[in-house]
Amino acid sequence: MISRLNLALAILASVAVAGCSSLGVKPWQRDVLAREEMQLDSDPLDAAIDDHLYFSKEASSGGRSFAGGGCGCN
Amino acid sequence: MAASCALLGAGAARSQETDMAPPDSGLLEDWSVDSALAYYHEDGRIQAIEPVVDVAKVFADGQALNLNVTFDALSGASPNGALTSRTAQTFASPSGKPKHQYTTAPDQLPVDPDYEDDRIAVGGNWTVPFTRVDQVSVGGKLSAEDDFFSATVNASITHDFNQKNTTLSFGVDNEFDSIHPIGGAPVPGGDYELAEKQAGGKTKDGVGVLLGVTQVMTRNWLSEFNISIDRFHGYLNDPYKFTSIINSAGGTTGYEYENRPDQRTRKSAYWENRIGWSSRVSTALSLRYMSDDWGVRSDTAQLHLRWTFANRDRYIEPTIRWYRQTAADFYMPFILNTEKPTTGHESSDSRLGAFHALTYGVKYAQKLPGLGSRPESEISIRAEYYQQTFDERMPVPAGLQGLDLYPGLKAVLVQIGWRF
Repeated sequence: MISRLNLALAILASVAVAGCSSLGVKPWQRDVLAREEMQLDSDPLDAAIDDHLYFSKEASSGGRSFAGGGCGCN
Repeated sequence: MAASCALLGAGAARSQETDMAPPDSGLLEDWSVDSALAYYHEDGRIQAIEPVVDVAKVFADGQALNLNVTFDALSGASPNGALTSRTAQTFASPSGKPKHQYTTAPDQLPVDPDYEDDRIAVGGNWTVPFTRVDQVSVGGKLSAEDDFFSATVNASITHDFNQKNTTLSFGVDNEFDSIHPIGGAPVPGGDYELAEKQAGGKTKDGVGVLLGVTQVMTRNWLSEFNISIDRFHGYLNDPYKFTSIINSAGGTTGYEYENRPDQRTRKSAYWENRIGWSSRVSTALSLRYMSDDWGVRSDTAQLHLRWTFANRDRYIEPTIRWYRQTAADFYMPFILNTEKPTTGHESSDSRLGAFHALTYGVKYAQKLPGLGSRPESEISIRAEYYQQTFDERMPVPAGLQGLDLYPGLKAVLVQIGWRF
C-alpha cells in the first residue's frame, strides 16, 4: 500500500516537473501575486506564536518549516 | 513580486521576503521592524505573556539579515500526569521551593499549582544570493529557560527556474538541547514515591531535512509543497510528568515516572495554497499530514480568509484550524497494577493521547502612515480560541466512572502587533 507520505512525495516530484513546463505567469502578470496577503509568510510573527502554542500542546509540529521547537515545553 | 516564488520552505528563510524595507543609508531607517505582544490563557491552568521583536534589513546587493528576540513568561497550574481520583492526592513539588507539597482535591485533575518558567530566545538568519536565481540562507537560534537550553542551526539553498515561477528549496537543521530538571531527572519508569532521580543533566539532539517546491500556478494562485523528516535522539521524557498506578477498584496505589523511547522520527507533508479571489478577498489554505514512529498520526487543515477594505488601508481576517491526532503507542492515562506495560514505555501526557482540536480566530489590521522614510506601518489585533477534545477513552474501573478523566483544554490568545 502506498503510504500518504509516499503519495505526497510523488506529488512533490510531479509538481516540480510540471512546473518546468506549463504552469506559471509572465513577469508582467504578477500584480495579484505581489500583494502582501499573497506572500507565503505574510504574517511571520503570527505564525511563530501559533506554532509555539501548537508545539507545546500537540504531538505534531513543523511542516511549513522545521519541526524542532527549541523549547522545553514539550 | 519576485518574492512569492523566491520563498523557501524553510521558515527562517521565508521571513526574509515580507520584512523588506527599502534600502536606505540611515542608521535605523533601513531596518523593518515587526513586533507583537501575545497573552495566552488556559482555562484554569497556564497563562503566558510573550513579546516578540523581529528586525530585518535588505542590503543593496540583495543580501538580507533578520534578527529576532522572543521572551516568554509562564505561570499557573500544569497537569502532572496523575489521574483524577475519588480521594485527595498529595504530591511533592519539583520546584525545590519552600512549599514542597501540594494536594489535589478529590475529583479534580492533579496539577502542579506553582508552575513558573521564563524563556528568552534569540535568533537570526542571513540570506545571500549567489546567482540571479540561487540563494543560500544560514541561521541559528538560542533559547534558554531555567531548566532548559537549546541551540539550533539551519541552512538552506533555493533555486528559481521557469521564469521564477518555480522554486526548489532544500534545507537542513540541527538542534541540540540540554535539560537540567529541577530536583533532578527522574529515572524513566522509576517509582515516584521513592523519588528515583539521576544525577546531572540530560541532552537530546535532532536533525531535520526539508525539501520544498513553490509554484506560481496562475496569476492569482501560489502553491507550496514541502516534505520534511526529522529525527530526535536522547532524553525525550517530560521530567515533571508521572503516571498513576491504580487497582481494579480504581484506587490509586502509586505513581511511576514516564518512560518514553529515546528516539523519535517524524515525517510530514505540507501543502499551502494562496489564492486571490478578487481585489479584496484572498484565502490561504494549508493541509498537513504527519506521522512518527511513536504511532502518532495527525491531520491539520487551516484556512485564513482575508477581506481587505476598499481603499486597502485595513483588513479583517477570520481563521479556522482543525487538527486531529492518534495516540502514541505507549500513551496510557493510567497503569492498572495488574497490567504493567510490556515494553516498559509509558506516558500519561495528554499531548500524546488521541484528540482533536479546533481553533477559531480573527485578526483586524489597520495601515498607518510610515515612520521616517518607510512607506507605511501597520497595527493589528487578533484573538484566537483553542479547544481540545479527547476522542478515545480507556475503560476504567467502576470506582472511577463518572469522573472527568479527559478534561481536554480550552485556551484563548490575544495579540497586538505593530510593524513599521
